[in-house]
This record gives sequence, structure tokens and C-alpha cells, in this order.
Amino acid sequence: MSKKLTLTDVLVTVVIALVFSLIYKIWGPLYSFLSVFGLHIDQLIYGMWFMAATVAFLIIQKPGVGLLAEIAAAQGEFMFGGQWGISLLLYGFIQGLGCEVIFALFRYKSYRLVVMCLAGILAGIGSLWLDTYYGYIGDLALWNLLLYIGARLIGSIVITGVFAYYLVQALEKTGVTNLVRPVSRDDYRALEDGR
Amino acid sequence: MQLNFSYRTTWLHQVNPSVKLSILMIIFIGLIFIHNPNMIVYIGMGTSLLYVFYTGHRWVTIGLLFAPFILIFVTTSVAMVLFGDGETTWFRFGIIHITEESFYRGLHLGLRSIVFGLFGLIFALTTRPVLLFYSLMQQFKLHPKYAYSFMAAIRMLPIIAEEFQVLRQALKIRGINYEKGIKGVYQRIRLYAIPLLAQSIRRAHRIAVAMEAKQFSQSEQGRTYYYPLTYSFYDLLFFVIVSGLLVCSLYLAISFPIFPVVNVR
Repeated sequence: MSKKLTLTDVLVTVVIALVFSLIYKIWGPLYSFLSVFGLHIDQLIYGMWFMAATVAFLIIQKPGVGLLAEIAAAQGEFMFGGQWGISLLLYGFIQGLGCEVIFALFRYKSYRLVVMCLAGILAGIGSLWLDTYYGYIGDLALWNLLLYIGARLIGSIVITGVFAYYLVQALEKTGVTNLVRPVSRDDYRALEDGR
Repeated sequence: MQLNFSYRTTWLHQVNPSVKLSILMIIFIGLIFIHNPNMIVYIGMGTSLLYVFYTGHRWVTIGLLFAPFILIFVTTSVAMVLFGDGETTWFRFGIIHITEESFYRGLHLGLRSIVFGLFGLIFALTTRPVLLFYSLMQQFKLHPKYAYSFMAAIRMLPIIAEEFQVLRQALKIRGINYEKGIKGVYQRIRLYAIPLLAQSIRRAHRIAVAMEAKQFSQSEQGRTYYYPLTYSFYDLLFFVIVSGLLVCSLYLAISFPIFPVVNVR
């Protein structure tokens, strides 16, 4: 039951992150059009950025996966000339760290919905913290700022937490999660009993 | 549409990728301490020169890639311009409240995101991903299991993109109707993410097993590399030119200001 990441874990995590950055990249422009009005509707789907972290963690269940997934999502976007440039790498790092802190607080052993929502919230807070430097969001009119924070956090809870949780449950039915999930004590016990 | 991405190699391609990335990260963190919109304008001009003349790509490519920046400029600045805090009112209509302070702050944000985007493009257009990871392994001692995983994953991206297209067509031909609102968002994510993830994880797992068997994950001393990368004169050149750009911008911003505002905070 090694907790160290193997090459398989790393590759699978990176690929999960790339799938999400591809999906985000295709729908992203639709929503960034909405942000032309300055009312932050686009913030509602911001949580898709952190989704890679929670999904990858639920599948691989090892320390470091959340952070790695976020960095991978950011670098995928960056390497292919994503419009946001180098800012992505720092954002990805901080958001991944946010998720990772929550997973660590539960000692990487809790895979409940609540934990995923908390991870989403902390990742959202991390990105908002960077926004105070990179977006001067502290200087927005109060109602607009609250709308911004509210939309970002609601999006984080719903998408990063709830959607990711149910998505992995659905994915488990396909059987692929068994390929990459580390073997548990139950698996060993099942072997013993079978003899 | 088939784009032609052929390019000529410029000195920017010769800069060590790790060095290039580090310098750009330092600029990125340093720029948050600059609140003078004049300086950002001059930095933007300098960066554009590098982008247009020294990335070595065709004019069409350079122009096409620049187009999204107009949208980025609008989306990053609009909320601040329309709804930012400020004293000197220029215009007020309903919830919209444009002040001098918020206007320049919004402008500053928009320009700065263009500068970040330009630096990002300069990097992406002059660096081969493979060389970046080889360089990170050699110069920054990144563990090979990460470097090779990233490289393998990048090669899988076209397959994922193709599968995405197939899924989209398959769903269309079956006449899928998406639900409205938040349910629709989940439905879309589910319909696309599950098949894509399931296939990609299976494929990634197979490839990873093969890679482990071929010792891609080993990192003992004396590992040799197919692409040996070292530091060179071009790294120094890049550093000097980028710092020169910043110093010139500071000088120009003080001597020839364009906007009447020097601090947007």
C-alpha cells in the first residue's frame, strides 16, 4: 500500500487534467462572452478549473495528486498558447495547494462529498486571493465584489465538489477506476478469504 | 482549416527553456508591484516587438493568435471600469458608475493581462514542449517520472480531441436535448467527461505500464538524455534584453507619461 506516486499515477493524473482542460477550453469561450457585461456570470463555471484535482484525487487516492492535477491542467493550457499566459501556472499551483490542504487535513483517507466541497471552497479562496493582486478585486464596488465572490464559491462547491463526486461514482461503474486505485486492505482480505 | 505553423528559428528558440520559464515567472510576480499604467503600456510595446519580430512565425499566425487578446482586454477591464470604486464620477446610469480612478484601473488590468498573454505566447511559440521537459530534468533535476508522463500525455492530447469530436457528432446524430440551467451543465459534463475519462485512463494505464517496463521512471545517477541541454550565451542575452525592456519602460513612463495617472491603487 505504497503512498508514493508511481509513473502510472502521474500519467493518469496528467491525462485526467488534460481531459478537463480540453472540455473547459471548448466551453470556456462561450462563458467568457458572458463576462463582457461585467456581471460575473462566467464565475459560476470557474469551478471546472479545480474539478481535475478532486476527480483525480477520488480516482487515485494518493497524496500530491490534487496539486499535480492542477499544475498539469495549467501547463496544458499554457503550452498551447492559452490566452491567459503565464498567470495560469501560478493560479494552478495555488488552487491545487488549496485542494491538497483539505485532503491532507483529512489525512487523505476521507473521500466524502463534504470533503470535496471543502476542497473546492479552499481552491476558490486561493484563486480569489490571487485575484486581489492580479485583478484588484478589492477595489470593486461592494455589491459587485460580493457577486464575484459568491458566484466563484457557488461554482466551486457545485462543480468541484458535487459534480466531481457524482462523476467519479458514475465512472466507477465503467470499471476503469479499479485499474489505477491502490489496493486496499479489503482487497487483501478478499484474497485471504478466497483461499 | 489546416494552419501552417512552420517557422524560422530565432535567438529566442536558442534560450534554455528552464531559464526562459524562470525569467518569465519572475516578471509575472514582479508585475503585480507595478501600479503605473504608463509603464505597462511601454512594457506592452516592448513585448509586442519581441512577439512580432522575434518569434519567427508567419505574419498570419502572429495576427491570428493576437486576436483573442481584444476579448481578454475587454473581459478583464470591463467589471472594474463599470463597477469599480472611485471618487471622480464621469458617468452614472443605474448600477453603472464610471469614475476616473476605476477607468484607469480597468485599463491597467486589461493592458497587464495582454502583457501576460504576450509573454505566454512568446514562450509557447519559441519552445518545443519536449525540450522544456528535457531541460527541466537536466537543469532543475525534475524527476523523470513527471517529465516523461507530461510528454506522453501531450502526445495523447490529439487522440482525446478526436474522441471529443466523435462524441459530439454521435450525440448530435442521436438528437440529444440538453436540459436547461445547472442540470444541463452537469448533463454536458457527464456525457462528455465519462467516456473521455474512461478511455483516456485505460489508455494512460497501458502506456504507463509499458513505460515503467522500459525504465522511464528510474532516476539513478548517470542517466543519459536524448537531447542534452545546457546553459548558453543566449540565456544571458534574453536576461539582458528583458531587463533592458523593463528599465527602458520605467524611464519612458517617468519621462513621457501617456495617462495623467501614475498609480491606480
